[in-house]
Amino acid sequence: MHFQGIYADEIVGKAYDRRLLWRFAGYLRPYLWLVGVVLCILPLTTAAKLAQPWLIKQAIDNHIVTGDLAGLPAIAAYFLLLILGESLLSFLEVWLLQYMGQRVMQDIRLELFSHVQRLSASFFDRTPSGSLVTRLTSDVEVLGEMFAAGIITVVGDFLLLAGIVGVMLWMNLQLSLVTFTVLPLLFWITFTFRRRMRGAFRQVRARLANLNTFISESISGVAVVQLFNRQRQEMEEFTRLNGSYRDANMPVITWDAALYAAVETLSSVAVGLLIWYGSGEILAGSLTFGALVAFIQYIEKFFAPIRDLSAKYSVMQGAMAALERLFNLLDCNEVLAEGGGERQIPPGPPLSRGEELPFIRFHDVWFAYNNDDYVLKGFGLEIRRGETIALVGESGGGKTTVTRLLSRLYDVSRGGIELDGSDLKTMPLQGLRRRIGIVLQDPYLFTGTVEENICLGDESVRPRVRGAAALVGAERFIEKLPAGYGEEVRERGSNFSVGERQLISFARAVAFDPEILVLDEATASVDSESERLIQEGLKGLMAGRTTLVVAHRLSTIRDADRIVVIHRGEKVEEGSHDELMAWGGVYYRLHQLQFREAGSGPGQSGR
Amino acid sequence: MGALFLVATNGFALLIPWLLKLAVESVQSPGQAGRSPAWYGGAIIVAALLHGIIRIFSRTTLLHNARRIEYRIRQDLYERLLGLDLAYFNAERTGDLISRFANDLTNVRMLVGFGVLNILNTAVIYSAALFLMWRISPLLTLLAIIPFPVMIMVVKRISAAMFRRSRRAQEELARLTSAVEENVSAAAVVKAYCREEAAIGSFATVSRRYMASNMRMAQLRGLMIPVMAATGALGTLIVLVIGGQKVVAGSLTLGDFVAFNGYLAMLIWPTIIMGWILNLIQRGAASMSRLNEVLLAEAGVSEPAEPLTPEKIEGGVELRDLSFSYEASPTPVLSSISLVIPPGSRLGIVGPVGCGKTTLVRLIARLYPVAGGTLLIDGIDVNRLPLRTLRDAIGFVPQESFLFSRSVAENIAFGREGASRGEIESASSLASLEGDVASFPQGYDTMVGERGITLSGGQKQRTAIARALVKDPAILILDDPLSAVDAATEEEILASLSGYYGQRTVIIVSHRLSALRGCDCIVYLEEGRIVEQGGHDGLLALDGRYAALHREQQLRREMEEI
Repeated sequence: MHFQGIYADEIVGKAYDRRLLWRFAGYLRPYLWLVGVVLCILPLTTAAKLAQPWLIKQAIDNHIVTGDLAGLPAIAAYFLLLILGESLLSFLEVWLLQYMGQRVMQDIRLELFSHVQRLSASFFDRTPSGSLVTRLTSDVEVLGEMFAAGIITVVGDFLLLAGIVGVMLWMNLQLSLVTFTVLPLLFWITFTFRRRMRGAFRQVRARLANLNTFISESISGVAVVQLFNRQRQEMEEFTRLNGSYRDANMPVITWDAALYAAVETLSSVAVGLLIWYGSGEILAGSLTFGALVAFIQYIEKFFAPIRDLSAKYSVMQGAMAALERLFNLLDCNEVLAEGGGERQIPPGPPLSRGEELPFIRFHDVWFAYNNDDYVLKGFGLEIRRGETIALVGESGGGKTTVTRLLSRLYDVSRGGIELDGSDLKTMPLQGLRRRIGIVLQDPYLFTGTVEENICLGDESVRPRVRGAAALVGAERFIEKLPAGYGEEVRERGSNFSVGERQLISFARAVAFDPEILVLDEATASVDSESERLIQEGLKGLMAGRTTLVVAHRLSTIRDADRIVVIHRGEKVEEGSHDELMAWGGVYYRLHQLQFREAGSGPGQSGR
Repeated sequence: MGALFLVATNGFALLIPWLLKLAVESVQSPGQAGRSPAWYGGAIIVAALLHGIIRIFSRTTLLHNARRIEYRIRQDLYERLLGLDLAYFNAERTGDLISRFANDLTNVRMLVGFGVLNILNTAVIYSAALFLMWRISPLLTLLAIIPFPVMIMVVKRISAAMFRRSRRAQEELARLTSAVEENVSAAAVVKAYCREEAAIGSFATVSRRYMASNMRMAQLRGLMIPVMAATGALGTLIVLVIGGQKVVAGSLTLGDFVAFNGYLAMLIWPTIIMGWILNLIQRGAASMSRLNEVLLAEAGVSEPAEPLTPEKIEGGVELRDLSFSYEASPTPVLSSISLVIPPGSRLGIVGPVGCGKTTLVRLIARLYPVAGGTLLIDGIDVNRLPLRTLRDAIGFVPQESFLFSRSVAENIAFGREGASRGEIESASSLASLEGDVASFPQGYDTMVGERGITLSGGQKQRTAIARALVKDPAILILDDPLSAVDAATEEEILASLSGYYGQRTVIIVSHRLSALRGCDCIVYLEEGRIVEQGGHDGLLALDGRYAALHREQQLRREMEEI
């Protein structure tokens, strides 16, 4: 429908890019036969459209004007047949195109999604989640539009236009030429107006985006606005954004109306020219009435495709831009090499004979999230099987990075990490990660049931869900839920408290029964009551498992076999609590803070 | 005004077939009285130009007007939302409200814009064209419009189904979008647990369902085109057969025949659009009532009818038998809390998760309606205090530190309008944020959130603290403000805050006793009731829950000292 046209264009680029289209054509390969069918249908519908005015001409000239009614029913029957044929074929055409478009979209979406799954964590750090969502939704959507109103229908339009021009020229050369005098103006108007509209429409998009961000932020932050008495200022800002969005719409409406009116007008002007010139021809006997009527009908059929042509041009432009972005994402190859890759990491210094092989070994590890900004600088650590290591240090020191490198969310920049004597990079990624259970800093819950959140859809883990929940003390609150383990988790777990979310994510780690357990500041925001429960649960869990705990609460790591203090990317201290206390270094200082926290209750320190 | 233009433009549009008729008649019988055919050709061109020019005005007037109406409604919606209390905005509602701003408002705008435009258009064209057609031939008119009612019904049914299916498709798209969003934000979890294959599998399911819903839309879209074509062509067919016979019989001129065809063509689009408009009206009305729900929503917290405005708020808070429960839930969050917090004193609140700590402090700021029991500020019933006065007196650091996508400076200055750069800096130094800000790319002017840097949980909390401090409030409420900062930073902030407290009333909610150091009074909440209350020493002597909590921490200290 007409009013939807104005929302079509947004991105400006080339409407035709051979390289992109060629690559895209690859996606059509499974549906080539459909393309063939559509290409066969197109000339047929075009012919049906062209024949209708021609039949009317015949009816008028041969029967109505001459008064010979005998053949009229036959013509009417042909006409009816043509209408039915055209309807059926155009339904088929639209449906097949959409079918093909949807299948191709589905294929591309799945390929993109699978591709994104393989990308490394560093890719996700750099890429805002919103842009990935846009790639997988809106950009793919634009491709679908290309099928609904793009390449192939354009072919049909051109066929129809060429057919009309041909038939008109054949019927009456001079009259056609007179009528066609409006065409240059028509083309000029459509393309100029569309271009204006595109510019104006880009502005509408940008302002709408601003307005929507503002609204959703205001709704989420309404309490803050009220607490700080900022209603008036927020209202003022909103009024400004709302007004500027309204104003941006006005030129779009005006240009759209002008385009609509201009095309309508020019089509009537063409009819006027036809009468002005054609009436003389009829009087001179070189034109029949039927031809005049047919001409008028052809003109009516002529203008709509031209008006839409420029809209389709925009759709193609948008599609090319979308293709470019999609292919860029597909070409992004930021993946971690699977085990067995060519890169060989120099082995760490040989161990002296008789020394027990460490289970996990960090050897001179350097790592930077970006360029030369090293978070870890020559970090080294050896962990024996079953040992519990506490990583301690100020935030930003690199503790979390150590755990991320161990689960190979990132690859080390220099140095190496060995597990059971072999470098991480030589192991299959899946196998490695199955051995490690991670509790992330921010417990992330998915939409779905509590049970799903613990087993993550893994059937082999499902039987252990309840046991795991019991072990970490989560069953207490889960069983109180109306639907128990079947309780639905809302987006981002918003219907659970921070502590409950954390307990669920603990249960998740436990359920997967990993050899190695990594806890990342896991106890930071749980109340003491929950913390006590969790710590009890974790004691059972840690038994028999190699554990790496990152915490800024020293009390949570008092049971560790060894404490490793990381400061500015380096291991500065290592040892038992007593040793480190005696040493009087960084740990001692951290402990003093903690000591005061735990020891001096309120009131004791005085005021 | 727009309607007037619309009548004029349609007048000119209707003139054209009539001129065509006259032209054909004059060609058919040249030499008779009347103008030359070429004159009519010129007249058609003039009429077309006038029609086009006025058409621009009629469309722009009506559609601009629709945008203005949309603007007004959006203003009203937003203003209403700012006045509603926190109890109104629960998790589900947020998404729903955003959708009302987007979808329902669009539906209403479509109705007052395109809807009104097309209704007027259809009315004018129908009445005039039918009148003129009737003058040419009543019988032919009746026959020609026979397919129309059927077509209107068909289009109405198709478009109703289209609206329904497109809503389905939109829902599926929303599901797809949140599936992607969730997957992308949880990339680390998916990787850590090797759930990539499962994620691809479940995405394929969602994606396939979206595709299916789109296919159902495509069927209807495909159906629409032949219906539109057939509507016009059937009429033409009838005119051709019946009208042709009449022309031969001499009861109709060829000019009449041509003009009739012209009018019939003019009726096709309005006829098709009518079925669509019928749905638009339904949808617009439904959307308007959804918008009205928001516009007429009662605020649980409203300005007092007879306000009492004290000169200055000293910061005394008294709770008398205060209870609170959420609308939907039968169990009270707070039951009969009575508490006196003298001005300048410090209150600490501890208790297990879900005990009502956060609700209690939110009630003091009247983010929720105070209905059960009494809450007094400096002896004045909080319900009689103008909201502005109350909230101006309170500096609040919420549990989940919400920041806006603005610069760091703007976020801090949110606390007080017109806060100078110096005030912002000293507030952030009190909150130990200075060092972090120095490391941001543009310092205080660095954008936060979507379009800028992502702050860590601790940085967000400290920004929220600075925002409350810059306000220089009489009552400072800290709802578990240091949960995401490390011990050293916590220590630093607590030290600098204790210098800031001065004569202010301070209420601190915390899981950790360390943050409650120096409190005059501590309450232990459990299931919405105060179970223990007193100074630190008194509570220890009581040997209850607080003492147990404290003992636990003592124990840890001793274990660490071994």
